[in-house]
Amino acid sequence: MASSFMDTDKRIQELAERVRYAQDILGGKENRKLSAFAQHMDEVAARAATVSAEDLRDQVAALEQRLAALEESLDPTLSPMDKVRIVRHPQHICLKDILENVYDNYTEIGGRGEVNIDPGMCIARAYITRRVGDKVMNQPVMVVGQEKGHGEEFRNGGSIKPWGNSKALKYMKVAALENIPIHTFVFTPGSYPIEDFPGAAQQIAENIYEMGGLPVPIVSVICEGGSGGAEAVGLADKRLMLSHGYYSVISPEGAAAIEGRIKPGQRASAELIERCAASQQITAQDNLKNGYIDGIVQEPPLGARPEHFEFFKRLRAEIIRATDEVALSVRGMRIFRRAALRAGGENGAPDNLFMRWELSARAKERLVWRRYRKYRRMAQQAYSDNRSILEKMASARIGFLASAHSAIRYDLFRKAKKKVAEWTEDVTDEIQVVTGKLGQFRKSTLERLGVSGRDALDAAAAQLTSLSEPSACSPGQENCVSYLSPKAREDREISCPHASKRGCLDIWARDLYAEFAGVCPNCGHHFSMEYQWYLANVFDPESLREFNKNIAAGNPTGFPDFDTRVAEAKDKTGMQSACMTFSGAIHGIQLTCAMLVANFRGGSVGAAEGEKFIRALALARKRHQPFLAYVHGTAGIRIQEGLNGLIQMPRCTLAVRRYIEAGGLYIVLYDTNSYAGPVASFLGCSPYQFSVRSARIGFAGPGVIKETTGLDIPPNYHSAHSALSRGHIQDIWDRREIRRNLQQVFLTMGGRNLYYR
Amino acid sequence: MKRSKHTILIANRGEIAIRIMEACRDLGHAFVCVYTAEDADSGHVALARQWGGQAYRIHNYIDAGDILSVADQSQCTAVHPGYGFFSENFRFARRVAERTRAMNFIGPSWWIIRDLGDKINTKRLARRLGVPTIPGSDRAIYDEMEAEDIARTLFDFQSRQGVGRPTVLVKASAGGGGMGIDEVHDMDRFRQVYRRIRNYAARTFNDEGVLIEQRIFNFNHLEVQVVSDRSGKNPVHFGTRNCSVQSPGLQKRIEVAPGFFPDGLSYSFDAQRVLDDITAHSLSMAREIRYDNVGTWEWIVTPKGEPFLMEVNTRIQVENGVSAAIARIRGKDGVNLIREQIRIGLGEPLGYSQGDIAFDGVAIEYRIIAEDTQNRFRPWAGRIERMEWPSRPWLSVHSHVPRGEAYQIPTEYDPNLALAILWGRDLNEAKTRGREVLDSFLMQGVDGAGTEMKTNIAFLTEKTGRLLEF
Repeated sequence: MASSFMDTDKRIQELAERVRYAQDILGGKENRKLSAFAQHMDEVAARAATVSAEDLRDQVAALEQRLAALEESLDPTLSPMDKVRIVRHPQHICLKDILENVYDNYTEIGGRGEVNIDPGMCIARAYITRRVGDKVMNQPVMVVGQEKGHGEEFRNGGSIKPWGNSKALKYMKVAALENIPIHTFVFTPGSYPIEDFPGAAQQIAENIYEMGGLPVPIVSVICEGGSGGAEAVGLADKRLMLSHGYYSVISPEGAAAIEGRIKPGQRASAELIERCAASQQITAQDNLKNGYIDGIVQEPPLGARPEHFEFFKRLRAEIIRATDEVALSVRGMRIFRRAALRAGGENGAPDNLFMRWELSARAKERLVWRRYRKYRRMAQQAYSDNRSILEKMASARIGFLASAHSAIRYDLFRKAKKKVAEWTEDVTDEIQVVTGKLGQFRKSTLERLGVSGRDALDAAAAQLTSLSEPSACSPGQENCVSYLSPKAREDREISCPHASKRGCLDIWARDLYAEFAGVCPNCGHHFSMEYQWYLANVFDPESLREFNKNIAAGNPTGFPDFDTRVAEAKDKTGMQSACMTFSGAIHGIQLTCAMLVANFRGGSVGAAEGEKFIRALALARKRHQPFLAYVHGTAGIRIQEGLNGLIQMPRCTLAVRRYIEAGGLYIVLYDTNSYAGPVASFLGCSPYQFSVRSARIGFAGPGVIKETTGLDIPPNYHSAHSALSRGHIQDIWDRREIRRNLQQVFLTMGGRNLYYR
Repeated sequence: MKRSKHTILIANRGEIAIRIMEACRDLGHAFVCVYTAEDADSGHVALARQWGGQAYRIHNYIDAGDILSVADQSQCTAVHPGYGFFSENFRFARRVAERTRAMNFIGPSWWIIRDLGDKINTKRLARRLGVPTIPGSDRAIYDEMEAEDIARTLFDFQSRQGVGRPTVLVKASAGGGGMGIDEVHDMDRFRQVYRRIRNYAARTFNDEGVLIEQRIFNFNHLEVQVVSDRSGKNPVHFGTRNCSVQSPGLQKRIEVAPGFFPDGLSYSFDAQRVLDDITAHSLSMAREIRYDNVGTWEWIVTPKGEPFLMEVNTRIQVENGVSAAIARIRGKDGVNLIREQIRIGLGEPLGYSQGDIAFDGVAIEYRIIAEDTQNRFRPWAGRIERMEWPSRPWLSVHSHVPRGEAYQIPTEYDPNLALAILWGRDLNEAKTRGREVLDSFLMQGVDGAGTEMKTNIAFLTEKTGRLLEF
C-alpha cells in the first residue's frame, strides 16, 4: 500500500515537474489549458490522502494522459523563442545523456568534472556496436561537443573558451589520424568572446579551416547552435538538427540589442526579442527549408529530456545512417549498399547492414571535395544576381580563359620553359665573358693612347652634375595618384585623441586627410580614411578592374524593414554589397583582391558578400594570382540574414582552403574595426594576417563581452598592438607604407607555385 | 581682396617681430602681435602695445590653430611669419591662403615654398637650367649598386681633379639639420656607411632614399638676395652676402655684403665673375619658378672659385639688413627689405627694375649672442642687467632686449640678443668701424649659478680681421 502510494506520489511530482517545465518553456505567456490542468492536478494531489490508492492511480493515469495530450497540442504552437527556451532549459538533454544512451560505450577524454581545460567542451572516444550476422562489430567514433551539464555552473552554459575549441580540434585531428568518423554535437549559445591565446576568433577560424580538410566523415547534430561557437565544431558532411533546437547567427537577445540600438545596461523588450527570433529563421524547420541542414531528428513534444528513451533510439539510428551515407557516398563500390540503406526506411535502423567507416586514400579525397561542393552550393538563393546576361557571359569567358591559360602556361609549358631558360642563361654567361674581356681591352688601350685624361674627367663631371632621369612621381606624391578625401575639403581643425598625453597640436583637415594620409604627424595616430583612398594609394594607377559588382545583397529572410535599409545603403554608397572584388596590381604584381567596405552596413558579411568572396578566390586560383583580403572594416556577419549570413563562415573558409591548397598566397590586411564572424573564419584562418595601426581585431566588441561574460576589458584590448602580442596577426603597418609592405610581402612570401611576375 | 589698409598678424617673436612692426608702421598698416608665457617680457610685446597694436598670448609659436584663431579674432588680413617657425612651412602658407577666411601670406606662394623646400627638387631644377650644383646624385638613390657606381665615380672624379683626400657624403634624402649624414674616404668603407645611413633613414624618416655627393672643404658661404613681386616675372637681386664666419654648429655669426671685395682684395680666381655668375643663376631660377616674394639663394664657393648652389631659403633672413645697407634704389638709401617684402606680399608691384638698383660700400652685420665661445659656444642664459651701445649714424642695432631694464633670457628660444649692422665706404672703413662698435658694446649680467655674462664679442672681433679674404 505504502509503496503504491509512494509510486503515485512520485508520478504526481513528475507531472508537476513537467507542468513547470512547460510553463518555463512558454515564458511569460499564460496558457489557460495548462493553468487549468495545474489547478486540477493540485486538487488531485490535495485529495490524495482521502481517496483510495486505486482511484488515485486511475486519476493520476488520467492526468498523465491529459498532460501528454496537452503537451502534444502545445507543441505545434511553439514560437521560435519558445524553442530557444527549450534548449536553454536545464532539463533538456545534454551531451552526457547522449553519450550514455546513444553510444554503446565511451571514455571521456581530458575531463573530470570541473578539472578540465574547459569543462564546457566534452570529448569522448565512443563506439557503436553493430551485429553483422552473428558477429559483433564495434565501430569507434570521436565524439566532440559542448556539455551544458544540466545547468552546472562550471560548464559555463556550453560557452567554450578558445582553449576548449583548440582541444576539440586536437582530438578531431586525432580522429583523422585514426581514420574514424567524428560525431559533433552542438550545444552552445556562442563562444566565450575572450582574446587570450589562442583567441576566440582565431581558434574558431582555425577549427573551421582544419575541419574543412579532415579526411574522415563528420556528422554533426545541432541542438543549440549559436553563432561562431557552433561553427567551431559544426562543419560536417551531414548536418542533423534536433526538431526543437535553434541554429542562428546570434542569440535573439543579441539581435534585438542590435536592432533596437540598445545601450549598455538597457534591455531589449520581450516583443522585440520574440520578433527577432521569428524573423531570423532560426528553427530546424526553417534551416532545413533553406538547405543549411540535411535532416531533422524529431524530439518528443516540448523537447527531449533525459527520460525520453525512444528519442535516443531514433537519434542513434539517424546518426548511424548519416555516417553510413557519408562513408558510402565516397566509396567506389556502393550500388547495393545504397539501395539497402534506402530500403531501411524511415525508422529502420540499419543495424544489420554493415558499413565500414574507414576510408581509403581515394575516398578521403572525394570526401573533402564533396564537402567543399556541399558548402559551395549553399545560400545560392540568398543573394540576387543582377548581372546582365552580357556580364555573366563575360565573367564565364574570363573564368574559362584563365583556366585555359593557366593550364597551358603552368602545366604544359613549365617543363619546356625551364629548358629554354637554362639554355639562355648559359649563352648569356658565355657572351658576358667575351664582352667583359673586350671592354677591359678597349679601356686599357684608350688609356695607353692618352685618350682618357681630360675627356674622361669631363665625362665624369657631366655624369655627376647633369640632370638624371626623373623618378616617376612629382614630389609629395606617394603614388602618382591623387585621391582627395571629402573630409579634406573642410576648413576645420581636427584634434588628435592622444593630444593630452602626447602633446599633438590640432591638425588642419586638409593637411590631415590629404598629405598626412589621415595620420597624426606627431604621434602617428591613424584617423579613418575612405576605402577609395586605399584604392588610389595602394594599387598601381589604372590597374583596377572590378568584377561581379552586380551580385547584390538582399533580404533573404524577409527581415522586417530590412529591404529599405539595404536599399538605403546601396543608394548611399553606390555599391551593391559590402564586398568589392577586383583585380589590380601593386608595383606590377598582378593580384586579386576582395575588400570589405565599412561604409556598406558596417562591412557586414551576408550571402552576396560571401559569394563574391568565393568567386574572387576561384578566379585568383584560375589566374594563378596572389589574393589580398583587404578589410576596410567589418562588423561581423549580417545578422538580419540569419543563417544565410552565418553559413558564409564555413563556405568562404572552405574556398580559402581550396585556394591555399592549390598553392595560393592568401594575405589578409585589417584596417579598422574587424570583428566577429569573418575574423573567426575566412580572415582569421590566413597564416599571413597584417594590420594597419588603426585596426581593432577581435571576436566580440567590448559591449558584447561585458554583456556575455560580465568582464570589464581594458580599452586597448582589441588594438592591433594587443593582437600582435597575442600572436593573432603577423605585423602592424603604417597606413602610408601599405603599398611598399605589400610589395615586400608578395616578393618574399610568394611561393613558386602561384607567384609569377 | 584689394584694399590699401591691412591688419598684419606677426607670427614671430623678438627682433624680427619688432622690425616687422616698424615696417608696418612705415607702410601704414595695423598689426597684431603674439607671444608665449615664457616670452611675456620680450621687447616686442611692450613695443607692440606702445605702438597701438594688440598682443595676444598663445601657447606656442608653432601652433597654427592658436595663431589663426588670434588672426580671426582680430580680423587680420595678412600673416607675416618672420623667419624660423612657420616661415618655410608650406602647409601653413597654404592654410592661410586657402582657408575659408583666407588671408595674405607674406612670403612666397605655398607651392613655391614646397617645391624649393625640397632639396632634391631644387637641385634638379638647377641642373635643368644649367646652374652648377654639387657633383653627385640629384635624386634619392634606393639601389645599392647604383649608389656604389655614383660613389666610385665621385672618388675617381676627385682624385683626377687632384683633391688630396677625396671625400663622399652620404645623407638621407629625407633628412636635414645634420641628421642621417656621414662622410666616407674610400670605396672599401662606402658600402658599410651607405647601409648604415639607409637603415637609419628607413627607421627615422620612413624613406630609404639616400643622396650621395662630393664633400667640399674650405668653401666660402655666399648668398644672393632675390626680390620679386607677385607677378613672378621680374625678379631682381639685392646683391650678395658672405656668411662664412660661423660657429662650429654652422650658425652664422658675421655677414658681410657684398660677398667678395675684388676692388680691395686679391683672389686666386676671378671674384667679380663668380659674383656675377651666382646672381645671374639665382635670377634665372627665380624667373623659371616664378618666384614671388623675397628669398635667398645659398651658394658655396670652392677655393678654386667654383660656385655650387646649395639651397634656396624661401623667407626673409636674419641678415636682410646687411644687403639693404649697401643697396640704393634709384640712388636713394634707406632700403628696407622687410618693408619691400610686405609691400609685394600684399600684391603691390615692385615698381623698379634691376637697373634701378645700385650698391655702395660694404656692410657688416654682427650677431651678438650670449654664449661661451671658449667652451663649444655653449649658450649663456642669465639675467642681463645692462646692455648699451654707442649711437652712430652708420650703425643700426636691432634688439628685442628692453633697454634700460633688466631682462631674463628665456631658455626656450635662440639666444640671439642683438644684430649690429654698420656701413663703411669700403672694406677697411667697415672693419675699423666694426671694431669700434664691438669695443664699445657694453653688456653686463649674471646667471643663476653666479657666472658672469658670456658673450661672443671677442670672437667677433677676432674674426673681423680677415673678413672677405679667401
